[in-house]
Formats: sequence, structure tokens, C-alpha cells
Amino acid sequence: MLQVLDLRHRFGDVVALDGVTLAVGEGELVGLVGRNGAGKTTAMRAIVGILRPDTGEVRWQGGPVGESERLRFGYMPEERGLYAQMRIGDQVAYFARLHGMERDAAARAAEGWLARLGLGGRARDLLVTLSHGNQQRVQLAVALAHDPLLLVLDEPFAGLDPEAVDSLSEVLREQAAEGRSILFSSHQLELVERICRRVVVLDAGRVIAAGTLAELRERFPAQLRVMVGGSTDWAWGLDGVRVLRSDEDGVLLRVDPGVDAQAILRAAQQAGPVERFAFESAGLIDLYRRMISP
Amino acid sequence: MSRTRTVRLVATREITERLRSRTTRLVTVVTALLVVGAVTIPGLIKESSKPTRIGLVGPAARSLAPTLERVARAAKIEISLTEVPREAQGRAELREGELEVLLSLAAHSRTAKVEVEQALSPTITALISATVEQARLDAVLAEAGVPASKVLPALAGAPIAVAALKPAAPHEDARIVAAIAASLLMYLSLTLYGTAVATGVAQEKTSRTAEVLLATVRPGQLLAGKVAGIGLTGLGQLAIAAGAGLIANAVLQSAKIPASVWALLPAFLAFFLAGFVLYAFVLAAAGALVSRQEEVQSVLIPVAMPLVLGYLLVFAAVSSPNATWLRVASLLPPLSATLMPARIALGHIAWWELPLDGLLMLASILAVARIASRIYAGALLHGGPRVGWRAALRFPGQ
Repeated sequence: MLQVLDLRHRFGDVVALDGVTLAVGEGELVGLVGRNGAGKTTAMRAIVGILRPDTGEVRWQGGPVGESERLRFGYMPEERGLYAQMRIGDQVAYFARLHGMERDAAARAAEGWLARLGLGGRARDLLVTLSHGNQQRVQLAVALAHDPLLLVLDEPFAGLDPEAVDSLSEVLREQAAEGRSILFSSHQLELVERICRRVVVLDAGRVIAAGTLAELRERFPAQLRVMVGGSTDWAWGLDGVRVLRSDEDGVLLRVDPGVDAQAILRAAQQAGPVERFAFESAGLIDLYRRMISP
Repeated sequence: MSRTRTVRLVATREITERLRSRTTRLVTVVTALLVVGAVTIPGLIKESSKPTRIGLVGPAARSLAPTLERVARAAKIEISLTEVPREAQGRAELREGELEVLLSLAAHSRTAKVEVEQALSPTITALISATVEQARLDAVLAEAGVPASKVLPALAGAPIAVAALKPAAPHEDARIVAAIAASLLMYLSLTLYGTAVATGVAQEKTSRTAEVLLATVRPGQLLAGKVAGIGLTGLGQLAIAAGAGLIANAVLQSAKIPASVWALLPAFLAFFLAGFVLYAFVLAAAGALVSRQEEVQSVLIPVAMPLVLGYLLVFAAVSSPNATWLRVASLLPPLSATLMPARIALGHIAWWELPLDGLLMLASILAVARIASRIYAGALLHGGPRVGWRAALRFPGQ
């Protein structure tokens, strides 16, 4: 389990992290979202130890993170970086060995991961001869080859074609299912919604929301669509309810948390035959927009 | 995982990747060829200084042969004499290069006539005129009725006692050549491998590989591994070159390179290692400051200045090897890498100078490594425009 406790960091006058606290459990796939400059990359760099935050703490399995713990972390930075003139098989094996693997095991892992990511038979190719997408696969293989317990992936889906997005999603889900903790950032919210159970939303260096999608929805007023035959003005004046729109599809209501839906239903039934009564479940994109716009 | 294992892994990667590159192999071969050339060519030139071939036309000139040979032997001039029946034939041989000098003698006047293709060397001129004078003396003596056999022993081998006020050290020329060659080679090797360190670091920084590396490796380990890997590659290349030179020397048995110069070899390798480590740390820090690969050259220049200065001072060392300022300069670590091997070659060195230099070198390596590692660690992950070294020292790093 990864625990990030109250990280704070400034770059000169710019506050990059303003008390970030989050956790990633074993076998959990957590998406880190937020606009550019929200502090996602800084938080991830602090987690893998290439940036020492001004204050705050990163803990792994309940203890502080030292060199030996870090060997079992896998990191894929936002700005990809590998040796352009090095064979990709050697490259993946080299990074695996830097993470403590023995020579033979590292070579086997490199071969296995390259094959798994569709680069089998290209181990002797230089990185620079590969396409952008394939270089990204090598970067992923570097993050995965040493069998890490925690994966920290900064924008792993950026620049991938839909097929590669699907195969990477599958790899991540599979890795989580094997018990690894995975934290990844992305701007592709529909993707995050599809593959993550939990989401952490950062804004201006602060966690403004964290939880499952259902939990996030609870924090916001729900939207309820009700269609009552022959009547549109029945909902006016109900406590904790605001009419957002009224049209041929009925009324769209904003329902404050804690308001009894049954009371709304009774009011509708009194106005006429209820043809439709449904909560519109907001997607992550809607929630995100509502969260970051004040 | 032990720290030395990480350093070893980084160094091994440097060596393997370098050995794989065509440039490295080319540099190895070219350096070895240069050293072999430097060893063999002087020998070949010496061998090509064949005896001067002199053609003697007619019986009068032929009669000079014994005197010519005797005078030449006394003056240590190598000549070979051939008899040419007619002048025309002699000229033809001169034109074809069979002969270098054609000598004929007018029978009565005993005046020598010398024909050459272009010019007569001063030694051969002196040799011929001495011989002709001798022949004239013989003739005069004979006319006066004094037998030459009575006079000659009195003249032969007149002893000269030579006392040198400033005796030249044995193999003085070879020592000067070795001194200049050693410092030139040192300057070139340090520049070559030092640049490799700076570009390697800049590459890791600008390609962002450093970010992936530093998630597991400490900056100090990365730096140490890099310096060790490139340094050992360089040492290996120099050792191969030196080995090739030794083999060439043994095969040709030219013995033109005195043993005292070969004794310089281990000292040269030791100074290369120390000088490389000293410069490599500074250059690694310099390489970490750049934001683009193209900027490497501009950060290299100030660092390379003392290296150039050290090389240029060698020429002053050759002319006045005992000057106090020179002895002091050669003890200063940034200069000593190029100056000290040259002074060793020249052979004007006090016993305490080497250990003192070693101590100063070690102390400055330790000091420089500390500061350079901090700049390196601070600047390596700093994206954006070029970083100043003062700013890099303030970055938290690790």
C-alpha cells in the first residue's frame, strides 16, 4: 500500500504541491486527474524519489521509502527517456538489473515483456529506429520488467493509437489483478473512468476529490429527469430541488444531497401520470468539470 | 542492492555500448597505428641514410680511394666508392640516381672536379677537399724526397681532448621528443575522453533518460559509473596503443627509443587516470548544465583552458626544465596532468616532486568530485533553459 501524506513543495514562488494526501492499495488501479500544472507530475516524482518534497512523507507498506523499497517501484515519466542508440533488449534488461535483477532473469524478463508488448523479435533493434508508439512500449517494458510492486505511470496513454490504448489498459488491469498497486495520470477521463476503480482529482496542488466514481457523485447534487403527463410546473417550490430545464422531455431537476427521492416521486404522481423518473448518472467528465469550475 | 554493484552496472554499460560503437573501434585502431608509426618511422628514416655513393672517374681519381676511405672513416661519414671508366658514363649514372657524386681529377693540376645532380652536402665537400689536400701533400712530400710512410703515422689519429661544460643528458633529443609527444598525447586523450563524459551526461539529461535512471540510481552512483566506464575505455585504448608500440619496437629492434622513454609509460598511464578523473568530474557537471546537446561545446571551453595551457607550457619546459615557476606549475593539479609526464621524460625531477604531486592530485580530485557531484545532481533533473552552476549548487538534488 502506497500512502502519500501531506506533500508540500514549492518551485520558487510557485506552489506545486499544497498538501497532497492520497493512497493506493494493493491490487488497486488509481487514476490521477487534473488540469495541466495541477501538480500530478510533481506528486509522482516525489513518490518515486526523484524530487524531495519540502515537507510531507511517502510511505510504502507502512514504512518510509528507502533505496531498497524504490527498487520495487516502476516509473514511467511524462517526458519519455531512454538511450536512443542502445538495443531495446539490452536497454530493458539494463534497467531491470539496475532494479536489482540478476543478469539472466533480467534478460528473460526483457525478452518476455517485449514479446508481450508486440516487440518480439526486435530486441536487437536500436531504440531510435522504432516508431513513437513502439518507443513508448519499450518505456513501459522498462517500467514493468523488474516485476515492480508499485507502478507510477505519468500519462502512459498519451500519444497512443486506440489499439495500443486498449492493449495498455488490458496490461494495467492484469497487473492490478496480480496485486500490484498502480497510480497513473491521464487527461483521457473516459479512459480513467473505464479502467479505474478510484480516482484522485488534483487542482492547484491540492486533492479536491478522491474516491470511487459513485463516491464522487454523492458529493454533488444529483440530476433527476422526471416526465409527468400534461404537467411541467409541478416541481417548483419543492425543498432542496431546483429546476434546471423544462422541455418536451419533462423536467431536469438538481437534487441536493439528503433530499428524499420518494417525496419528489409522490409530488410528481400527484401532478399526473409519471412516465419517466430517472437519476442521470454523471460521468467522470461531468463531475470533473463541476469540480474544477467554482 | 549494493552501491558498488550499481556503479559497476553503469560502468559496464558505458564500456559495452562504447565498444559496440564504430567510432570507438576506429579511434582505437588509429591511435595504435599512430603510436606504431611514431616508433617505427624514426628507425626507417635512420636506415634510409645510406652511404653516399661516389663515382671515381679515371685512374687519378681512383688513386684517391684509399685516402677517401681513411678520411671518411675518421670523420664517421659513410661512403661507397665505385670506379667509373669514362666521364660520360658517370654522368648517366648520376642522372639515373645510381651515383650521388662524380669525382674526377685533372692529372697534372690535381684539381678536383665534382659533379652532383643538385647540390653537394657540406660533409662530402669537406671530405673531398681534405682528401685532395692530402693527395697534394703526398705529392709535394714525394717531390721533396720525403716518403709518405714517415709522415703519415705522425698525422694519423691526432688526439683531441673534448671537455663539455654542459654535457647533454644521454638521448637528449629522444627525451625532448618524448616529452612533447607525451603531453600532446595526454592533451588529446583527456580532451577526447573528457568530451565523451560531458556529451554522455548531456545526452542523458536532454533525452530525459536521467529521470528514469534517478528513480533507482543515486546521482553519485551514476556519475561514478560513467566516469569509471569512460575512463577504463580510454585506458584500454591507450594500453592497446602502447602495447602495439612495444611490439613494433621489439619486432623491428630499432632500439631508437631509449629505455628511459619506455619507462615513462606507466607514469603516463597513471597521470592519464588521475587527470581524467579530475577533468571528468568537472566536465560531467558542465554537461549537466546544458539544456540542449548543442550547448555542450560552449560549456567545455572554459574547462579545457587549463588543459591547453598545460600543453603549451611543455614547450617552455623543454627549453628551461629547471625554472622554479615551471616546477611549481607542474605541481598544480589542473596543469600537472600534461606537464608532469613531460618533465618525467625530460628527466629533471626531484624525488619528492612525484609523491607531492600525487597527494595534491588526490586532494583536488576529492574536493572537485564533491562539488561537481552536487552541481551534477542539482542540474540533471532541471528542465528548461541552461542552468548556471551557482544555481545548480542551490538545487536540493538528493
